[in-house]
This record gives sequence, structure tokens and C-alpha cells, in this order.
Amino acid sequence: MKRIATAIALAGLFLSPSAGLAKNVDLVTLPARDSVQLTIYNSEDITLVKETRYVTLKKGANKLQFSWANTLIDPTSVTFRPLDHKGDVELLDTVFPGQKPQHLIWNVESMFEGQVKVEVTYFTSGLTWKMDYVAITDPDETKLHFRGYVRVFNNSGEEYEDAQVRLIVGTINLVEKIAALAKRRGIPVPTRQSGKLYKDFRGIVMTNGLARAEESEKKRLNGRRPTIVKEGLSEYFMFSVSGQETIPNGWSKRMQAVEARDVPFDIVYRMRRYQYGPRPVRFFIWRNDAEHKLGESPLPDGQVNLFRQKRQKGDKGDDGLSFLARQQIRYVPIKAEIEINLGPDDLVVYETQRMSAERLNFHFNSHRRVDGWDDRTDWVDTIRNYRTKPITFELRRQWAGDVNYESEVATTLFDYRTTETKFDIAARSKRQYPATVTMHFGTNAKQQNVKLKDSDR
Amino acid sequence: MRYRAFMIILAALLTAAAPVALGRIKLAALPERERVEIQLDNGKYTLVEEERIVPLLRSGKTNNMIDFSWSNTAIDKNSILFRPVAVREGGKFRPVKLIKLADGTKVPEINVINVAYPPNENALVWEVYAADACACKVRVSYLIANLTRTFEYRALADKPEEFLTLRKYMVLHNYSGEDFIGAGVWAGFGPKFQKEINQLDDLKLRIAKFTQVPIDKTFTFDWYTHGALNPAKPLASKILMHYRLTNDEKNKMGEFPLQPGKVRIFIEDGHGGEAFLGEDWAALTPLDDTMKLYLGESRDIVCTRIIESNVRHNVRGNLHNQEIVIKYEIENFKDKATTLRIVEQLNRLGQQYFGNTHGDVEWEKGGKTSKGIRFDYEFGGATPILLVKLPARPTDKDAKVKKVTVRFHVTLKNLW
Repeated sequence: MKRIATAIALAGLFLSPSAGLAKNVDLVTLPARDSVQLTIYNSEDITLVKETRYVTLKKGANKLQFSWANTLIDPTSVTFRPLDHKGDVELLDTVFPGQKPQHLIWNVESMFEGQVKVEVTYFTSGLTWKMDYVAITDPDETKLHFRGYVRVFNNSGEEYEDAQVRLIVGTINLVEKIAALAKRRGIPVPTRQSGKLYKDFRGIVMTNGLARAEESEKKRLNGRRPTIVKEGLSEYFMFSVSGQETIPNGWSKRMQAVEARDVPFDIVYRMRRYQYGPRPVRFFIWRNDAEHKLGESPLPDGQVNLFRQKRQKGDKGDDGLSFLARQQIRYVPIKAEIEINLGPDDLVVYETQRMSAERLNFHFNSHRRVDGWDDRTDWVDTIRNYRTKPITFELRRQWAGDVNYESEVATTLFDYRTTETKFDIAARSKRQYPATVTMHFGTNAKQQNVKLKDSDR
Repeated sequence: MRYRAFMIILAALLTAAAPVALGRIKLAALPERERVEIQLDNGKYTLVEEERIVPLLRSGKTNNMIDFSWSNTAIDKNSILFRPVAVREGGKFRPVKLIKLADGTKVPEINVINVAYPPNENALVWEVYAADACACKVRVSYLIANLTRTFEYRALADKPEEFLTLRKYMVLHNYSGEDFIGAGVWAGFGPKFQKEINQLDDLKLRIAKFTQVPIDKTFTFDWYTHGALNPAKPLASKILMHYRLTNDEKNKMGEFPLQPGKVRIFIEDGHGGEAFLGEDWAALTPLDDTMKLYLGESRDIVCTRIIESNVRHNVRGNLHNQEIVIKYEIENFKDKATTLRIVEQLNRLGQQYFGNTHGDVEWEKGGKTSKGIRFDYEFGGATPILLVKLPARPTDKDAKVKKVTVRFHVTLKNLW
């Protein structure tokens, strides 16, 4: 069974204005798309489709029918404008026939007779894209091969053949969802199966698009991947996929958009019980900048899969991969850091012990009852590194109340209640971090913060 | 019924023009797996890597379309990697090299152009460029669910309970829907195995054996955790037995952290056989840490705890110190001398006798504390462990077991 016609059928109806519109028998011609450009947003389910077609107009009144059965096009967004003979062709009005959902008719007045190139734009739902990243470190964990991929999903109900694809990174505001607008008036929603399934990847190449499609194909057959051109646009970033792509309805397609080899990265261990739990966690950190062979564009939200190459015995070759971590990263602006949490590492151990407690500076109320005191505690934190490489260890601890903090190890305040210390710990060694914490209680508590001994001076 | 090996079909589609045709009718070559590796070093994810030799045609009118599909296996579609690693040349494989195009740019001679995902199918299609027709060795990696591993241990103590042999096993559970024949299996440490593991199989592999591991057998008395032994002995409490094994080289281990898992403990019976002592869950034991294995209760050591004195000393206003002497009377009916670990939770002691201790108690050891007691602070300053040596029961059958009496004199300071 043939399903919908190409989602958008543009028909020049050479009918006189008096011809009844209510008739259900139409004789139409189907001018093919000359070109199509998809601008797909990832923050909302919206795609701006811009297509050009050639229609033949006669002098005087023309009726052009545009229909989009079984697609997710927002009817309120459809626009029409002539690209040729602009002064001679005028759109008079647009009629949305009540009896025919997903149809409209443009009444066009033309002073010109013959072929005219027109542009039709509209918003559609169901075309989406997302990024994902693959990072593979060398066996020594010093550098990584970082790749980012865009994956475009087509569940729009329509097959856009040899489309120029542009992807917008950034958040836009919509007051109504395109899918909701498309589904108004009980219009059925396309399923994943709808659309022309499994059409040839190269699809039916439009006459005028042939040259571009061939050029794109030629590049592929040279071994080149489609390149992704990145450029800033207002507060957004636009990724334009070189050449044309055809993504049949229901399919998705993944293309490499970012690649950087030999990206240096830092390995940091963080102990933040309040944030990461009771064990230190390992981070790989690098920046989206030129120093790290990146920084050409922001990196959109996406999942990172992190691997490590295994070293082959007696050889420096690749003996397969180890899977290290999976993490969703948020939008990474240019020069911002990328942090991947690898989780706890069994080879780095952190322990903390409260060694002694002392009470002092008692304050008594008028009834000679204790209403203020200080509690001085000695803590010893121990970090053991069993790795064969030195590590950097960041320790943050949160304290409640009025606290004086003293340690022979350089300590700073991350915020008003969080102490922060950084250590370098040699390979296969341990380090102790003693600290004396005096907490003020009752009437002795004057603040809700931590004061370092140095800051008291 | 043997579960059928589910298919992971890697098909090099050598069609000329329409690689992904209507209905996906395919003419496919099915390259066999040359090698499979199961990586279990990540506790959350299992990575499978397979190596196959894929025949590729020279990219002329079209590129090669390689179709990878699977069914009834929980492969994470978003994790699949395709890596061309070598090209066969003169009967040998050499690494993939870069070639120079007419405009001077370099591209790999085998290059993945893109990946397409058909709807409602567990499949994907790689479009792969090949500079020349060749046999290419590719690695396909993916994360797979329901292929998991757990760890188990078997400890066999010698009869005097001085040393034990600890065997560590990895148990592979394959509910992934896929059979893996001749798969390399690696836990992230220990040896790599070449094994066959079929769907629904559990495969137990010994990955380490530590012999002559010294046993530190401990007896622990902890009043505040276990309370009174029974109404007849209201001042006595349980004595818990543990084996403590230290994961370091000195104690014949220390090769890698010991993963959590069940430990079954046996003892040689002196007649060439073994007796089961019990089992326990071992926690993750990093290097240099101690694995504590609970064996059960000891009935041959009896310890009673008596608050011998409890005196309040006012300091000022409602501020005071509380001076307490705790007397322990211990009898060892075992034929071996041992050490009893008495855990005193001073915060609980403070709460029992005065109420709110306002955090960790401040305390001071008093002069009446028995000289033979050694102190350990494994649980922190407010929970001292008193180590009391106990002699073996007398060998003379008429002699009675000597009751060892020790005192812990403690002053809890600045209470109110």
C-alpha cells in the first residue's frame, strides 16, 4: 500500500477562481523539491525546513495546494515566497480548507507566465539530533583520542532526500510545542514505521540537486567523511554538515563532527563525601581549547564513552579496549573544562579518623548551667596511593556551625563552610593530613562558617 | 533445551548501488569471529570486543556497507565501536595506514564515513571507505548487559588456625543471550582466560591462590553492640570470632584489592579431610587493609563486664566529670593462649549514664587501669579497643581455669 505521498505535495492548480474548492477530486501536478535545507534544534523538538521548488504559473489567479499528510508540520508556520520574478508574483491569501486537514491553498496572483522558483518554509517536529562522544586513552593514560559524533534522527514522517543539514546548538524559547500544533484538529501522528522506509540512501536525486549530491558522494568515495562546519550565530552555534544527507523516515544517521588526537588530560582524585559519596573518585579533566587540540566550537550536551587501550605484551600495540566510564556531559563552551567521573578507584584509599576530643571554654548562664562550649578534635586523614604513578588528590570537607580549622598542611576555603586541600601523592605511598578542628557551640557559636587559622591573624 | 546461540551478524554488503535497499534485502558475507574478548574490569559495564576479518571492495561507485545486527542480546546500541586495525598484505596483517589524496589531505585507507540506524531493528550500517580491495581486520566493541561477574572465595585454614589458603574465584554469569566460544576473559587483574561460556552458563574461574596466609584469629567483646548474653548471665556478652587477613605482601597477598564476595571457610580436620567453619561476606579490601571474616560465637571465652564504680565530680555549675571503673572478668577455656579485644564505646557509656554527651566524649584514662591492657583505636578515639592477653586453660586436669580480672579506669570529662 502506498502511504502518504511525499510528505509535501505542491500542486499548481490551474483552475479558475470560480472552481469549487470543496470538490474532492483534484488534478494536480507534483513539482519535485529542488533543494531542501533542514535546520534542526536540539533544545526543542523543532526543525526549520526550507525547500525550493519550481512551479509553473499562468498569468492571473493561481491556486497552489500544499499538503502534508501524516507528518508533523506546524500548519501555522508554513510560508511561501517566490524567489524569481518577485515583482510579478504576489501571494494574495492562504486558505486552510476545513474539510481537508493538512492542506492549504495559496492564492497567487501572477503577472508572469511560466516556471517560477519558490521557497516554502515551515516548522516540523520529529527531526532531532544529539551528540555523543568517544574518548580512547593510551595505555599509560596520558593522552586521548577524542571524537564527537552528531546523530540525526528522522521520525518526522517525511523523507528529506539529499538535504543540507544544519544543527543548532543552544536553547530557544517556544511558547507552544510544534508537535502539539501539528496534532491539532485530530490529525494522526506518524509512527516510526510511517514514511518511506529503507529507501536507497542516495535516494531519488532531484534534477537540480544532482550535481551537489554527486560532489558529496565523490568526497565520500575519496575516503573523506562529511565535514561539519561550525560557526557562531547569535547566542547559538551552528553545525553545518557538508554536502547532502538523506535520512529515511525512522532512521538515524551518525556522523563524526569533532576529532582531536593526542589530547593531554589531567587525572585528579576528589574526595567530597557530600557530593561523590564515601570513596575518592577519579576524574579525567581536559579543556575545550586549542591547548587540548579542541576549542573550535562548543561541545553540545551528549554522552561520553571513555575507553583505554590495553597494552599488548612486549609490544606497544593496541590489544583491545577497556571500558572506563560513561557520563552525560552538559554543553561545554569554548575554553571550558570537560570532567569525566570514572568513579571510585580501588587503588586509592582514603580514611579519616577522629583521634581525640577535648571540651573547653565553657560559658555558664545565670543559673550556672553550661550554655556555651568549644569542642576541639584532632582528625587524621590518610590517603594511600597504590598506583604506579603519582596522583593529585583534592579533599573537600564540609563543616557545620562556627568552626576554627587548623592544619600544618596548606588548606584553603572552598566556600564559607568547606575546607579544601590539594596533595600530590607519590606512587605507591601514603600521606597523612592532620587537622585540629575547634567547633563553637551554644553561646560560644557566633558565626555559621569556617575560619582557617591563617585567616584569624 | 540448549539455548540457541543468538546471532550477531556482521555482514559486508557488497552491493553495488543500493546498499540499504527497500525491505533491507541483503546479500551478505558473514565473516566469522576471529577473536572475542570479554572485559570485566569495570564493575558496572561489561565490554565485549570481537575481531573479524571483513572483505572490503575498493570504493569506486559506492562505499562498502557493513551491516551489524543482533537479536535477543542486550547490546547497548550507543556503545558500538567499529575500529579497522589492520589490513592483510602478503599473507600478513599490517596496521591501517594513511593515504594521500590528490589535494594533499590524508585519510586512513580504511575509513568509517558514517553510521546509519534503521528503525525498529537491532542493527546498524557502517559506510566504510576502502582505498583498495582488501581483507581488513576490524574490532567491534560494545557494552552488553546480563553478562556479569561476581567474586567468591574459599579459605582453607590449617588445623592450628595459623595459616590458610585463600582461593579467589570469579564467577561469570551469562544471561546475555549470546554464546561466546573461545572468549578471552579478563577481570582487570589476575590471568586472562580463554573460555567458552554459553548462554545461561555460569562459569567459575580461579583467578588467584594465596597460600600460607597468616591468620589473625580474634575474639571480640562489644557490650554496647550485643548486650547481655542471656538472663542467666546478664553481665556477660557474646564473644565474636573473626579471621583477620591482611592484604599485603608480608601476609602473602597484596597483589590487588580483594573484591567483595562470599567467603566459605573450611578447616583441615587432621584426617586428610576438611570441615566447614562457616561463611561470610567479605567487603572490598584494598591493599594493606584487613579482611574481617566472621566465624561465629566463641563459647570457650567468657567475659563479664561490671561497672565497679561510678562517681561524679562537679567542676562548676552543672559541669562535671564522671569517673568510672569498669571491671572485666574473663575466663579462657581454650587450650591456647589468646587475646581478647574489648570494644568500649565511650559515647554509648556516656549516654547510658548521663544522657547527651554533646558529640564525642572527652575522656582520660585513670591510674586504676590494669597495666597489662594495650589500647588500639581502630574505630577512632572515642571507641578504644582494650587488648587483654589470656593464658590457655591449665593442662593439669585438676587445675581450674584462672579468671583474669582487668580494670578500665576512665574519666569522662566536661559533661553537663
